[in-house]
Formats: sequence, structure tokens, C-alpha cells
Amino acid sequence: MTELTQNLIDGLGRGSIYALLALGVAIVFGVMHLLNFAHGEMITVGGYLTYWTALQGWSWWVAAPLVLVGAVVTSLVIERVAFSRVRGSSDFTLLLTSFGVHFVVSAMFLLYVSASVKTFDRPGWVADTYAVGPLRVEVFDTVVIATAVATLLGTSLLLNRTMFGLSLRAAAADFDTARLMGVRSDTVIRGAFALSGLLAGIAGIFWLMRAGSTVPSAGIDPMLKGVLAALIGGLGSLRGAVAGGFVLGIAEVVLRSRLPDGIAGLTEGVVFVLIALLFIFRPQGLVSVARAERV
Amino acid sequence: MFPDRRRDVALPLLGAALLWAVFVGGGLLYEMVAGGAAERLVTVMFIDAIVVLGIGIYVGNTGILSFGHIGFGSIAGYTFALFAIAPTEKLNRIPDAPFGLAEVSVGPWGAVVIAVVVTLAVAAVIGVGLARSGAESGAVAATVITLALLFVTHEVARNWPDLTGGERAGLFFTIGGALDSRIPVVVCLAGAVVVARLFATSRSGRLAIVAREDNLAARAMGVNPLVQQMIALLLSVAVVSIGASLRVYEDGSILPGNFFFSYTLLTLVMLIVGGRNGVTGAIVGVAVITAARELARRLGQDGFEVFGVGLDGPPLDWVFRENLQTVVLGVAMLGFMLWRPGGLLDDWELDRWLGRTRAGDASDPPDDPAPHSPRDRLLVVRDVEVAFGGFRALDRAGIEATTSEVVGIIGPNGAGKTTLVNVVTGVVTPDSGTVILGDLDLTGRPPHHVARAGLVRTFQNLRLFSALTVRENVEGAARAGLRDRNDDRAVPGVDDLIFAAGLWEHADRRARELDYGNSRRLELARAAAAAPDFLLLDEPTSGMNDAESLAMVQQVRRMAALVGAGVVVIDHDLNFITSICDRVYCLDQGRVIAQGTPAEVKANPLVQRAYLGGAEPS
Repeated sequence: MTELTQNLIDGLGRGSIYALLALGVAIVFGVMHLLNFAHGEMITVGGYLTYWTALQGWSWWVAAPLVLVGAVVTSLVIERVAFSRVRGSSDFTLLLTSFGVHFVVSAMFLLYVSASVKTFDRPGWVADTYAVGPLRVEVFDTVVIATAVATLLGTSLLLNRTMFGLSLRAAAADFDTARLMGVRSDTVIRGAFALSGLLAGIAGIFWLMRAGSTVPSAGIDPMLKGVLAALIGGLGSLRGAVAGGFVLGIAEVVLRSRLPDGIAGLTEGVVFVLIALLFIFRPQGLVSVARAERV
Repeated sequence: MFPDRRRDVALPLLGAALLWAVFVGGGLLYEMVAGGAAERLVTVMFIDAIVVLGIGIYVGNTGILSFGHIGFGSIAGYTFALFAIAPTEKLNRIPDAPFGLAEVSVGPWGAVVIAVVVTLAVAAVIGVGLARSGAESGAVAATVITLALLFVTHEVARNWPDLTGGERAGLFFTIGGALDSRIPVVVCLAGAVVVARLFATSRSGRLAIVAREDNLAARAMGVNPLVQQMIALLLSVAVVSIGASLRVYEDGSILPGNFFFSYTLLTLVMLIVGGRNGVTGAIVGVAVITAARELARRLGQDGFEVFGVGLDGPPLDWVFRENLQTVVLGVAMLGFMLWRPGGLLDDWELDRWLGRTRAGDASDPPDDPAPHSPRDRLLVVRDVEVAFGGFRALDRAGIEATTSEVVGIIGPNGAGKTTLVNVVTGVVTPDSGTVILGDLDLTGRPPHHVARAGLVRTFQNLRLFSALTVRENVEGAARAGLRDRNDDRAVPGVDDLIFAAGLWEHADRRARELDYGNSRRLELARAAAAAPDFLLLDEPTSGMNDAESLAMVQQVRRMAALVGAGVVVIDHDLNFITSICDRVYCLDQGRVIAQGTPAEVKANPLVQRAYLGGAEPS
């Protein structure tokens, strides 16, 4: 029981980051039916910015805001340079465009920085823990969960209480009708990318604090987590994406602690297999979104 | 009719042979010029071509992006290595291999066979997941599953050292055990070209392509896309498995990283740069990217000189540096997706070009085709109810129709006309009510079952297979429809239908190049080609002027008589309905408010109020 509670707490910490990533993926999917395989590039850019601040000898208090700004700017630039040209294209084109963006960005870092791992110091408190009864809780997890909850609440207010949020949700429900009702597609798409970048930036700060290093292809991991979580939740559903993030985080922690020693290294593999099974038995994901095709 | 042996078998074989000869000849010629150092480059290019052709069989024909084929390649590669490597070597490296694999040896060619079989078994399971999620959530979900497969195979390869030798050690052949002749590679390449090209012209390939162009329209013609996609997946995985085995054999070793992201990127770029929808495109892509990559690698390493001026110093040193080839691949992928998603050649094929140039426009139109008599069947739709949330689209609606009449459905916008057709054709499942054709209960059956039972529809907003020619559109429907029909009723040929639709001179043009009227006629001819008992036409005159509508009356009658089908037609053009129909139903707010001859319905005061807003019909 204690172990399970411990797993749950650790899983919530992990899942908070995934939820932020997945929400960003789902928001972009909503407005342009694009599953963004370049969603991790915001974190790659953030990683190199952090590395640069570390070289200057600056602290995380400088790095963190830089990562945020870097993520939003990266997201907007990618939208402008690549995705704005393929709006309304086939799934095939959209998917490969986003993958192309990933490869170009990582190749740039490969070419102009280095192929080798670049490290920077983690903040001192990342490894600190405190006791609650029999449980050990990481300070880091506490901060992550608190920040994630605050961010999710803020995003929820933004989506439900503002004109921008309303147009974004309307566009996600039915893009063409939303346009007919006066929603400006440029504004709503760029807004979605900015919001998605901001969420990825917040997740990225914690991701990088934990990782303490970056490589040119660093974006793949966070991208996969975000995309898989969004998919688990049911593509297109924002609540589902957040739920999917937490489910994925908890599943990983539970599996890691329960799998026999010999195959503990296969945690990720097992998670992938479970997701594939989920899709065989519940192809629409956890939260199904009615998307009747109109004929 | 078809398969047209010359067009679907002989010419593709000839084209494949020529393509193979040019590609292999070109590779060998380059090697002669460039010397022995190029030998490995050329061999690897041939093997890459096998893998890329294999990926193209699935990705090209189904239009579903797969990142997982290199994952399948990894499975095949390791299986091959485990069975091909001599036991002495295995006892050295992986003495604890499970299932007694360390002591097994079947020789390289036996190992290729085992690799293909094992990988196909995995692909069959994955294929079910792809099909189920693809049907629910679209191609995007299928793509993510393929990506997950790539990562799973990589994880397993890294973390199961007893089986795979792990991340650093890997598996090695004994010295001299690796592939020492190029003949097997070249032979397998010939096989891959032929298989890829013949599949695209086969029935299964054609139906997969049709579903790629428009999934719903294909299902409405009687195609089950999931079956065709599964066939394409298995065939493509078999070819990829052979390529991956050869690759391991040629390398003499296998490591987890060999079949992961960078090889996926490379093969996908090769496929899309040439043109993923064609075999010629795939081969051209392999050649172009191999050359570009080699050039970039050399330039990145050495820089180069023009007129004695070295270009590896400033200002160009920011371009010509190491790893340039990776940038080239990424930029090629992104650039082609942004500016030329079809690739250099799109779906151009040598054999089609040969066929077209040699045939010219010499073929004569067929004689005026004879009509076919319908068999007597009754369509009964009864008490259908459909609610979308709180909105009642259909409220105990029903119609009856026989194969010897034209039945019309009219009603104002939002009356439920299209919903009724959607229920009849299986696109929408009703909350209650029945759809019965003859003695078959079709209620709630999927669209392709309904189509095969004999109900084929057209769409209000045109849904042609836009990248295919007029002939291919009609043929696709004919191939789908002729299956599973248990009667031996004669049906009109594809030529007859195209001619009767007035599209004879456009037969070889792509559907997207047709003007609006011709598109409408093609949609009708395509539905007729499935040889249904009933044609269900959803607003065939939408967007037409009076003269065009009148011509459409003739067109519909002619097509219906030609295939021997009854007609159920929705329209709100009262003149059109009046001049074509034997009987008319009027729907309003989901209910049938009147039925009878066109004159009776037109005169019915309920109809006038609901449909014409109280005004007198003009």
C-alpha cells in the first residue's frame, strides 16, 4: 500500500510534465489536425539556451525565463516557416512536415554545436526529499505538481473565460464553421502555437532541470511522451490529453518499480506495448471525441 | 475487360525490367568510373532500394505514413543474424541465448526465410492494431503505432543482451562469413521491383489505392480498406525483411542503432523525394539521395575547390562542415513536403507511359452499349429514427423502392434527406428501424457490406478518386463491386460505362482535371460500375443550371438502364425530380409528410407549406 502511494506520488510528478506536453500537442491538433512531431524542439532549443547560460555562469533564475521565451518563439517560428504552408494538407504531408522540422532543427545543432552531450548543473534542490509519514516526497515533484496544477488551471481559465479561448475551442470543434462565424484562422492558429509553446516551455524547464544535459536529438523523448499521452487520452480532447499525461506518468513509475530486474530496462518498451494493446481494444483512446465525417 | 493482361501484367513487367536494368547498370557504371572504393556504396544502394520499394508497397499504395518499417527490418535483421551466424561465434558472444538459439544454424538463405516468416507473424499482429485504430481515429493513430513499434524494437534490441548482444557488442559474423557476392542482392532487387509494380496493378493494390484517394467513397463502392491495407502491409514487410537481412549480411554485423531513426529518416526521404506513389519514383529517390548524401559527406569532410580556390574556408565554412549529409536529409524531407509533396515523379510509371504513347488515341469508342434488365428486388426502409444529440434528424421515416422505378426524395434543407441515404448505406447507424434489400437485412451493416449487397451511392459533395484517371475511377468501382455477387447477371463493361457517361475522350485524364459537369457524370458512372441493384444519388444536380439538370435526367436514366438498377434520388430541384421520378416522397423535419406521383406530391398542401414556404410552385 505504501509502495503504491509512493508510486502514485512519483507518477504524478512525472505525469505533470507529460500532461503539459500533451495539452500542447492536443491544442495544436485541435486547430489544424496536425500531430506535431516537432513538439520536442521547443525543449531542444531550451536545452541549448540553458547550456549557454551555464557557460556564462548564470543561474537557473536566468535560464528558466529564457527557456520559456525560447519555447514560445521557436513554436511561432516553426509555425510561420513550415506549418503555415501546409495548412489543410493531407495527414501524410502534415506528419512528415513536422518530422522534417524535427530533423532540420536537430541537424542544425549537430552541425553548429556538437554531436556530443552538453551538460549543465542541475539546481541543488532537485535531489532533496522530505518525509510525509512513511513516504519520501521529492521537493522537485512538489514544485512540478504545484506548477502544473496552477498552469492547467490558468489554461482552463484562458480557454473557458476569454474570447481567444472560445475561438480556439470553436476552431477545434469545427474549423470551417468557426471561420464562418468570424474566427480569424491566422490569429487562432498562431495563438494555439504560442500557447502550446508556452506549455512546452514550462514542462521544458523541469525536464531540463531533471535531465541536466542536452543533445541535438533531445526533442524526441519529450515529443514522444506528449504525443503518446495525447493519443492515450483520445486525440482532439484537451481533458483527455491531460488525463493521458498523468496515466502515462503513473504507468511508467509503477512498471519501473514492479517489473522483474532482468527486464526493468524495458519499461518504455512495455509502455509502448500496453499503448498498442489499448489501441487494439479501445481504438478511440480513453476519452472518445465524436468526429463524424460529414458526407 | 480486366485484368487487361497487356496493361496490368506484360507492360509492368517490361517496365520493371527496364527500370531494374537502368538502375543496376547505372550503379555498376559508376563503380567502374569511381573505382573499388565505390563498391560498397553501390551494393548498399541496391539494398536500400529493396527496403525503400518494400516500404513503398505499404506507404505508397495505402497513403498511411509508417515509421515502423525499419522496426520490422530490425526484427528481420536480428532473426536473420541469430539463425545465420555460426554456432561457434554465437557461443562466444551470446552463450545464454534463450530457446537454445546459440546452437542453431541454418545457413544464410534458410535464415532469410525464417526472418521473413517471423517478421510477418509480428506484422500480422501489429496490422490488426493498425487497422482497428486506423478505422476509429484515422491514419494519424496508425502512424503513431508504427512509431511506437520502431521504439519498442530498439528498446528490446538494446536491453536484451542475451539475445541481441546488446547496445555496444551486437552480433557479428565470423570473418569472411559476410556476403561476398553481389548477385543475390541484384536478384532480390529485381524481385522487389517486379513485386512492387505488379502489386500496384493488381486488384488488391488498385483497391488499396482507391481507398487511399477517398476512404469513404471506396467503402461506399464495396471496398473494405482494412483488408487491402493488411495485404499491402504483409507484402511490404516481407520485402523489407529480405532487404534488412541482406543489409545485415552485407555489413557482417548488426547493432540496435543500425535499424533506428537515421535509417528510417534515410529510407523515408528516399521514398518521398522520388515520389512515394510509384515504383519509378522510389528507385529515382534512392539514386538521387544516395548521390546527394555521398556528395554532402565528401564536401562536409574535404570542402572543395573551384578554379583553384578552396571553398572550405570562410565564408562558406558554415555550410561545408561535418555531418552536412544529415542536414541534407532533413532539408530534403521538409522541402519536398512544403513545396512538392508528390516528389520528383509523383506516380509516373514507365509502363504506363509506354502504354499510352503506343496506344495513342487509336482506340475506337465502343458501339452503343445494350441495356441490361434488372432483377426484381425490393428496398424497404422502415421506421428509421436517428438523433444527433437532442436533434431528431429522422423520426420514423421510411421509403420503399423497386428496381424498375425511379424514386425521389424531396424536402427542405435539414429535412433529413442525406441522413436517410447515410442510414441506408451504412454510414450512419440508426437508433431504431430497419433497412431491408430483398431478403437481406442491412440495418447497421458497414458501408462496404451494403455496397456489395447491391446499394451504391453518390455523394452530394463530389468524392472522386481525384489523382486517378477517369478509367481508373470506374474500374476501381467495377473491381470492388463484382466481388461477392452471387448472381451471374451480365454487367456492362468499363468502356461502355465511360462511353455512356460521355467521358470517352477524357478516359485517360485525372479526375481532378475534369470540369464540374464531367465530375458529376463520372461520379454517376463510377457508382453504376459497381453493378448495384439500386443507385442512390445524393443531389446529382447540385450546382447545375436548368439545362444541365435536364441533361442529367437523361444521364441518370441511361445509366440506370445500362446496369439494370433502380434509382433513389435526393434533390431539391423540383423540376428535376418531377421529370425523372415515378414516385416521390417528401420529408420534413425527419418525417415523411407525403408520397405519390410527382404531380400528387406537388399538389399536396402540406408539401407546399413545408417545402415551398406556402408559395405556389412555379
